[in-house]
Amino acid sequence: MDFNDLASRLGVDEEDFKELVELFVTTTFSDIGKIKKGISDNNPADAAAASHSIKGAAGNLGFDEIFSLARDMEMQAKKGSLDGFNSYIKDLENKVSALNPSMRG
Amino acid sequence: MEQKQPYTVLAVDDNRLNLKLIEKSLSKEGYKIFCADNGPDARAIALKEKPDLILLDIEMPGESGFDVIRKLKDNAETNAIPVLFLTGVSEVDSKLKGFDLGAVDYITKPFHPLEVLARVRIHLKLSIATNSLITGQANKLRQLTEAQVSMLPTPADNPDAKFGVYYKALEEAGGDFYDILNISENIKGYFVADFSGHDIKTSYMTASVKALLAQNCTPVYSPIESIKMINDVLVEIMPGGKYLTACYMHINRTTHKLTIINAGHPPVVCLPVKGEPFLIKTEGDILGMFKDAHFGVQSLTVSSGDRFFAYSDGLVESAEKKITWASGADSLLPVYREVAGVPYEQAPEALIHYLFGKGTLPEDDIVVLCVEV
Repeated sequence: MDFNDLASRLGVDEEDFKELVELFVTTTFSDIGKIKKGISDNNPADAAAASHSIKGAAGNLGFDEIFSLARDMEMQAKKGSLDGFNSYIKDLENKVSALNPSMRG
Repeated sequence: MEQKQPYTVLAVDDNRLNLKLIEKSLSKEGYKIFCADNGPDARAIALKEKPDLILLDIEMPGESGFDVIRKLKDNAETNAIPVLFLTGVSEVDSKLKGFDLGAVDYITKPFHPLEVLARVRIHLKLSIATNSLITGQANKLRQLTEAQVSMLPTPADNPDAKFGVYYKALEEAGGDFYDILNISENIKGYFVADFSGHDIKTSYMTASVKALLAQNCTPVYSPIESIKMINDVLVEIMPGGKYLTACYMHINRTTHKLTIINAGHPPVVCLPVKGEPFLIKTEGDILGMFKDAHFGVQSLTVSSGDRFFAYSDGLVESAEKKITWASGADSLLPVYREVAGVPYEQAPEALIHYLFGKGTLPEDDIVVLCVEV
């Protein structure tokens, strides 16, 4: 994933983009925590809301894979189903962890 | 130069990343941004700060965007603030509900910051247009009965603008004029003009142009839009046969972008921090004569330390030596290199002394403005 390319598509410089990515990582892990709570409370509505939040942020930054995964999670949770969510969460955590800007120099 | 209040935008979204993205994108274009991540805080900020525009997410926990706009429109102090919804909800019914509640537009998520910026500009322009029309500005200016004194801003009064200036009027009512526009903290405008004629009408028009610059050089308008709007008013109010040439430099020191608008004026000289001086040549119609005037536009990426010189034709023309600015400007390029080591505040005066020496009087009014990025 080319941060410089994503930054220029958004019209921000690379340093600003890295700051946004760091914030995205922080807020997304917070939202993942809410999804996990939604699962443990068997509350699909809460899981859907948190997935919606991740979807929006990922879409704004151009992280298409995270956007697609969060969108699918949101749609499924809105239908009342949390099946397979633990696996989705693992996938989500891996994708978000891979964004750590410090690994990109 | 008067400190102008920036346009303010209130961004409301329960996702901090979205708020940060909006704040970064809009603030570097001169807007002041307030942020709120929930409905009650948003309404409190709107009441206190009276933002010029609100960007409002629909799906938020607790009070939704629809609830927020309902309450804003119910309050006489906030009901006139234009509201744009930021939403991932794409159903037509939802959009219609938003419009029924008083929203002026929708931006669908995921949003691109440049789209947000474009829509903010459009709706601020619409908001301004309902309050003040071009003919309204012209009528106010016709009522001016005296020119303002001390209209020319000084570097000492405006240290953030990083400029130096040399100004000399040949007669009491000089035709040359300059102004500095404090568009936002990091965006400044630099305007140099040369009026035809040297009489009391020129003084009157100088005050009018200064007022028009203050009204129209704002973050909402691009540089070319600002100059076109000013031209539209000048065409209505300029005395017959009068016109002006002008050069407008718009510098955004955050994005390092310089835009030059040329209205029949001598070309700006660029003295880069590394490299030789060169002319930035554009051609454009004069101001105040033609309703459908076309102005020259040049945009450059600039670096810290680059200098730009805008000046009136008195610097480069000589009726005695039969030199017009078209040829004179080129021949003077090497002189700019001579003042490269002089602080920018003193560079214009150094340039004048280098060109004219101590004993020679210039043939015309002269203004030289040096701006350093």
